[in-house]
Amino acid sequence: MTLFKHILLASHGTSGAVAAENMALQVCASEGTIDHLIVVPEFWQGMTGDDWLNNGVTRDQFSNYLQTELGKEVDQQCDRLHRKVSAHAFNYHSLIFFGRPGQALLQCLKKQTYDLIVLGSPRPRRMPGLRSTLLTKQLITAIQTAVLIAPYPKQPPA
Amino acid sequence: MIYTQKSPALLIIGLSMLAIWSGVETGLLNPLLEHLSPDKPYKYLNEVSSLPLYFGVIAVVTGCWHWLGTHKAGHLDYYSSTIAGGMLILFITMLIRWFIAPQIEVMSTGIGLIGNTGKYVHELLGLNYVVLGIVTGIIIVNVFKVPGWAQNGVRLSRLGLKTGVILLGALYSAAELKNLGGLSIIMIGIFVLGSVGIVLWIGSRRKISNSMGGVLSAGMGVCGVSATVAVAPVVQAKPVEIAYTIGTILLWGVGCMFVFPIIGHLLDMSYVQFGAWAGTGILNSAQVAGAALAFQPDGIETLMVAEIFNITRVLILPVIVLWLAIWYVKKEGAVSSEVNVGHVVITKFPVFVLGFICMFALSTTGAFAPASHYQGKYFGNTQAQGFKQENLLNSAQIGVLRAEINSIDRTEHRAAMRSLIENGKIMTVEDDNAIRSIINASALSGQAIEILSAAHHAVRHTAEKIEAFRQWITWLFAFGLVGLGMQITVSAMRQAGGEPAIIGGIVGFIKAALSLAVVILIVDDTV
Repeated sequence: MTLFKHILLASHGTSGAVAAENMALQVCASEGTIDHLIVVPEFWQGMTGDDWLNNGVTRDQFSNYLQTELGKEVDQQCDRLHRKVSAHAFNYHSLIFFGRPGQALLQCLKKQTYDLIVLGSPRPRRMPGLRSTLLTKQLITAIQTAVLIAPYPKQPPA
Repeated sequence: MIYTQKSPALLIIGLSMLAIWSGVETGLLNPLLEHLSPDKPYKYLNEVSSLPLYFGVIAVVTGCWHWLGTHKAGHLDYYSSTIAGGMLILFITMLIRWFIAPQIEVMSTGIGLIGNTGKYVHELLGLNYVVLGIVTGIIIVNVFKVPGWAQNGVRLSRLGLKTGVILLGALYSAAELKNLGGLSIIMIGIFVLGSVGIVLWIGSRRKISNSMGGVLSAGMGVCGVSATVAVAPVVQAKPVEIAYTIGTILLWGVGCMFVFPIIGHLLDMSYVQFGAWAGTGILNSAQVAGAALAFQPDGIETLMVAEIFNITRVLILPVIVLWLAIWYVKKEGAVSSEVNVGHVVITKFPVFVLGFICMFALSTTGAFAPASHYQGKYFGNTQAQGFKQENLLNSAQIGVLRAEINSIDRTEHRAAMRSLIENGKIMTVEDDNAIRSIINASALSGQAIEILSAAHHAVRHTAEKIEAFRQWITWLFAFGLVGLGMQITVSAMRQAGGEPAIIGGIVGFIKAALSLAVVILIVDDTV
């Protein structure tokens, strides 16, 4: 089986992404490196929506709270995957972005050459979760690196 | 950081405004204006021949400075950077109010009346400048993106809405505020507390987390996104719970803004009834104002009622935040910190409501119009009081009224009509009230009602300051709502889902349906 030295793995801890993590660990070469791409989607920027009744203090309080919570989530995901990757004796790097997931991935590819990109499958309909997909037709046509898409797990991965 | 962007955009907007003004002044746009308003004078002529000049000059001067000047970081830079976005919103509002909405009206009247509703498509669907403005804002932000040079200014829309509410304070009479305030406290009290309670109850049955129950109940119960923003940190809601809740509220709110006016027109609701229903039944406060103006685009009576309900909601907000904070601390036990009542009340208090109260207090002292005026309107049937001689009834009109006077049953109504026939104009306030009652009763022919309405309008005048307030309020709300439209992203609405979508759907529907029934049953046509 061909193994890859330098893998770019996109994961935010969803079921599909955890399946991708497991697959990345299976195909990573000994002493290989896994770069963990984690994106805070840009829709959070519009999350105060059309609120107009609150004063500046309340809005600032909300924005700070949201930023802290999103930051905590990202830190938790990074710590979790760091431990998981290190347990397999691979190297781990985190790449944290804010914006459109697809564009973030393309930005990573511009800065660094990878042997493989590992992504999770889009969440099936009716499954709960945030709507922010990485896999778009535009992205697939723009990528020049091999891509491995992990099938969506029939049961939540351990 | 320097916020002002070197871009010719503001200059171009200013030049475009001046081009509109010069087109109107030179008569170049006359064929267009005649096309937009066939058979009657173009109703926005006063606005279109003045506003583009004033704002165009400001935009051109500021635009040259933005594009060619040098900018340094600081307060001046920050505040000046908002002008470009503000002018963009204003320019879009102008185009829609003066040209696009009238064009849609022309097309809609061309199609003809819809069934036996007696209304045209644009009236039935509320396709007026307010709704079209919000939709345009939504399209701009989602399809084209708000350009970088305008992003800071889009936030000015909130200032526009709050200023509109403050000015609105000048238009209420004490009796109106008392009656509307009482009605809104009862309606909002029942429906807000009811919705919050139902969401918490359903939430506990469906075993959702306390934080989600808290944030969802505030959003569904009080004032939508604003309540969610206020409550989320207090109940320590998780980001995914906030996204679900705000997505659901935005989706539901935008839907209601289109559906409510249609239902209101189909049920022939009065301004008061519709304002009360929209103010209670629509989850999100921004869409309450939108729906009210969509229902009555060329007047602000519905908006006046709806905004009293909005103000009541926002005044209740600190109470709900406190309630949920205490509820959450109790539920979560030692995990959460103690609730600082004073801090919650002070930070959540809507300061702009004080401005509204100040304007109302000023108006009762007669600062804007004599205190004897009702809503700044007064009775006057002499030339000195503003009555125009050409408004005297002619012999043909008197003939129509004389032929129908016997259809009137009540003695005082018949006396008022007789006096009108004898004098060619309404002579007293009491007669005017009687004539208004005859108009409202609709017992006479359409032609007679038209003549009576004209006679009534001929003796009712609006104080100049109040008329100016009404114009400014309309513009401030239109400006604010177009800007708010630019902040409603489809990506945020797409997050609607999970438990909040189910619970929100149930509670939103119950609230809308029950409040409609209550309004129809207990709210009178007037206050």
